[in-house]
Amino acid sequence: MQSSAARKMTAEGWLEPPPLPHHYDTIENHQSALRFGMWLFLGTEVLLFAGIFVGYFTFRHYFPEAFEQSARHLSVPLGTANTLLLLTSSLTVALAHYNAEHGRNRNAFWLLMASVVMGAGFLGIKAVEYTEKFHEGALPGRFFSFAEITAPGGPVFYVVYFFSTGLHALHVVVGMSLLIWVALRCWRKEFSPTYYAPVENSGLYWHLVDLVWIFLYPLLYLV
Amino acid sequence: MATTTPHAAAAHAKHETGPGRLVLNWLVLCGLTFATFGFSKLHISPGMHLAAALTISTVKVALVVLIFMHLWHGEGINRIVFVTSFVFLLLLMFFVMADVTTRFSLSNSRIPPMPQVDQRMIPSGMPPGMSNTPQGHSGGGAGPSSGEAGKQ
Repeated sequence: MQSSAARKMTAEGWLEPPPLPHHYDTIENHQSALRFGMWLFLGTEVLLFAGIFVGYFTFRHYFPEAFEQSARHLSVPLGTANTLLLLTSSLTVALAHYNAEHGRNRNAFWLLMASVVMGAGFLGIKAVEYTEKFHEGALPGRFFSFAEITAPGGPVFYVVYFFSTGLHALHVVVGMSLLIWVALRCWRKEFSPTYYAPVENSGLYWHLVDLVWIFLYPLLYLV
Repeated sequence: MATTTPHAAAAHAKHETGPGRLVLNWLVLCGLTFATFGFSKLHISPGMHLAAALTISTVKVALVVLIFMHLWHGEGINRIVFVTSFVFLLLLMFFVMADVTTRFSLSNSRIPPMPQVDQRMIPSGMPPGMSNTPQGHSGGGAGPSSGEAGKQ
């Protein structure tokens, strides 16, 4: 892609869009293709997490008491706080998309940075929870040594817990990196009503991270 | 065509989800989060808890996808992609759970009972939840455990 330095600033106060690849007829055509590609990728992400959710329900069926006991040892206030953080960061990402689409790059920058800060807050809370689990010995498989869970299957619950929240946390890190990347491009005023696909697609990824957590939160902490 | 159309009008014609609607959606999502939490405190059966949690979560996911991710006003092809991925998730979930929940023990035939597990064969570092004691799996008929066969 052509660097932003080579692109001219328009009278409206944003950089002119990058040149249209020759195989697209119009810029709308290009934007639709970029969006469609992102949705296809999100479809594969849904299937990636599908395996984890199927694992959750299978093991929950085999070890219902262990899952119930273990869920009671997770901190509901921390889990709820994390849910609200992610929902709020989704709002700021959606607002950033709206602002970028209207050429208000500086607003979009600050909204994206707010989302990144909330993402970092999410990871911080997660780190507190993980630390507690490590001290308790509430760990997966043969590392399990948590005496308070007496029903069979405790180690299996923590396999599900650490793999689902761990894979999700990895997605949070990737999502934050994407948001920082588009925020910097907002700072350089690269986006305009005709070109905002990077903000939109990074936002779509962030919303997917939110979606996964919306299911993980009740299944792990509440049910 | 783009030469005469002002940018704002073009953007508005394309999708109508303004900041007001986004904030409203966020408020509803936060409300539903507290509703999930409230339901978990009710004294109802575990199955009902699960059903309530999954129902509310599905509504929340639909709101995020339709409003925040603009699938409501977006192109139909993207809707097909996302709905299809969810259909495949449900198919996987349905067939795996149909298998897991309907397994049964074969030991009511003339198969001799399984020999008792020699306790010395279990590694010493094995935590209590992992050991192969004849407590059996609480899910009932869960795989080739020694629980049921050992009792005969």
